[in-house]
Amino acid sequence: MPGTTQPPRVHDSLVLEPRDVQFDWSSLPLHWIPDEPFATHTINVLHLLLPEGERWFVRVFSDALPMITDEQLREEVLGFIGQEAIHAEAHQEVLDHLLGQGLDPRPYLRQIGWLFHRVLGDKPGLTGRRRRENIIERVAFVAAIEHFTAFLGNWALNSPGLDRAQADPTMLDLLRWHGAEEVEHRSVAYDLLVHLDPGYLRRMRGMLVSGPLLVHLWVRGVRFLLAADPELRGRIRPTWREAQVQARRGLLPDPRAMARSAARYFKPGYHPTQEGSSSQALGYLATSPAARAAATH
Amino acid sequence: MDLVTPPPDLYGRPRDDRFMRWLTAFGDRYSPALGSPGLRRSPRRAAPAPVPPLRLVVTGRRAVAEDVAALDLAEPSGGPLPAWQPGARLLLTLPSGRQRHYSLCGDPADRHRYRIAVRRIADGGGGSVELHDEVAVGALLTAARPRNGFAFCAEPAVLLLAGGIGITPLLPMARQARSLGLDWRLVHTGRTAAALPFTAELRALDPGRVEIRTDDRDGVPDAAELLARAPRGAAVYCCGPAPMLAAVQRAFDASPARALHFERFGAAPVTGGHPFTVRLGADGPELAVPADRSALDVARDFRPDLPYSCRQGFCGICRVRVLDGTPEHRDRRLTPAERAGGALLPCVSRAAEGETLVLDL
Repeated sequence: MPGTTQPPRVHDSLVLEPRDVQFDWSSLPLHWIPDEPFATHTINVLHLLLPEGERWFVRVFSDALPMITDEQLREEVLGFIGQEAIHAEAHQEVLDHLLGQGLDPRPYLRQIGWLFHRVLGDKPGLTGRRRRENIIERVAFVAAIEHFTAFLGNWALNSPGLDRAQADPTMLDLLRWHGAEEVEHRSVAYDLLVHLDPGYLRRMRGMLVSGPLLVHLWVRGVRFLLAADPELRGRIRPTWREAQVQARRGLLPDPRAMARSAARYFKPGYHPTQEGSSSQALGYLATSPAARAAATH
Repeated sequence: MDLVTPPPDLYGRPRDDRFMRWLTAFGDRYSPALGSPGLRRSPRRAAPAPVPPLRLVVTGRRAVAEDVAALDLAEPSGGPLPAWQPGARLLLTLPSGRQRHYSLCGDPADRHRYRIAVRRIADGGGGSVELHDEVAVGALLTAARPRNGFAFCAEPAVLLLAGGIGITPLLPMARQARSLGLDWRLVHTGRTAAALPFTAELRALDPGRVEIRTDDRDGVPDAAELLARAPRGAAVYCCGPAPMLAAVQRAFDASPARALHFERFGAAPVTGGHPFTVRLGADGPELAVPADRSALDVARDFRPDLPYSCRQGFCGICRVRVLDGTPEHRDRRLTPAERAGGALLPCVSRAAEGETLVLDL
């Protein structure tokens, strides 16, 4: 709309609350973007990573609660963890459905469980200041990962390519509902980090550790799913070139755009509100079949 | 979960996964190193400080409808107030200590004045009566910074549906819709014209887009009929009494509108509860849970850092283990097996009258 005023910035001090969504996966096809197994499984990695990952976010933020001295931030963190808990459950149900279709995700899930419970979990024997420092460091990891989830959520809300490819509408609603809530709460983890430790080094470490880890886990996940797919039997191997091709068709987020977005996290004046639009996210949530049904429980 | 045996290779090769082994070794060095210089919060930095609450003085009040008073609030020194956007609400702490949410209904561009409008509800919780009868011009109140649970997304076509005092968040939205040049309309419903605030102010925005609809003249409104005023694909913003919102939600799918926005208020009041007792830990304190409060709220009085979120029994964040006692489960999250294992969501679940639940806290 040329010439009209910009939509208002509505991201200031949003009240965050979980939405009690339900999805019915009984008719979800294995390749829910028809004839696009590579794009399907690249997005499916989310279902592998998120249930355990988001439950870990909840544990980290619950551990951080006693360290928060600002009432509004505490309320935002409480809303955030409720949303994350619901996200974890929603993706978990897709995993259960995958298993029913002959794709056994358990070897990968075993590793993700180990990662979030053993490698990144609460270390026994740490007390006082060191335990506190560990909690803040994990908050820095979460803040960096939330930068990616906001990027991906913003992509999901702006992905007409998936509609053109006739992706399964329930899965699209899951991705966009989740994406919209990620955009809606994109500032919370960062604001919590700055509250607990405004140091630039901590923020950098958060991204330098979790950014490459996330990318590597993703690549491993795509490779694993393509190999475990009962219909493909390893016929397709993932390549960056293929990811780039699918991104151009609008079926996947552009890896280079994602890298550029990650680089912005290092800018001194960075704030998560600079990425994505709360108006668009809340506008989608007001139309989402799952979010609307949740409201009438 | 097995946290001792490292996970096997992804593809069934008979060995540990090398990447996992490397990550584990990295994590085992990283964690204990945190806290040393360079890997800690700078000790020179001050501890994180809370943002202090707002102090507000009542600078004006006038009757804007039958039993409705509008209050102007300002910073005592006359300085600027935190910015807000249409749909935002203010959590006011009244002189009695009662806390109440009120939607801001003034002009967001006016940085020196907040306006709220309060309907006097004689048999309510006492907050509106206190504001009407005891808070005069010059009174000092405290408030949290405005927060927005009903944000206006400025869709190209919008229908604003207000029931009675529910006009308060929608009035700034109408003003913004007009200034953005959106295709907007507003319907304000109520019992009688005398009970509806801000009619003149609304009509002044655009008489052609504002409809005042009163039960005494037009009959009780029907949700489908109200929604029929929405342009195709419009976004509806609805604020009013709970039955109105429920009716709009039921009629929504058959309407020409596409998006429905409303304010969510978290926990519902406890219904059908009996007083019981919770003990926090086997040797912990015993706390009485009255019939109208949740076990979570009572426990939080004592342990303010307990995690929780939805307060409606679906997110599972507040989950605790019951060590002793028979709970009465009211959540919609836990599986029968989890309940049998002692899990409980204290935000909604309770116990029979006189029962004591020992919680693992």
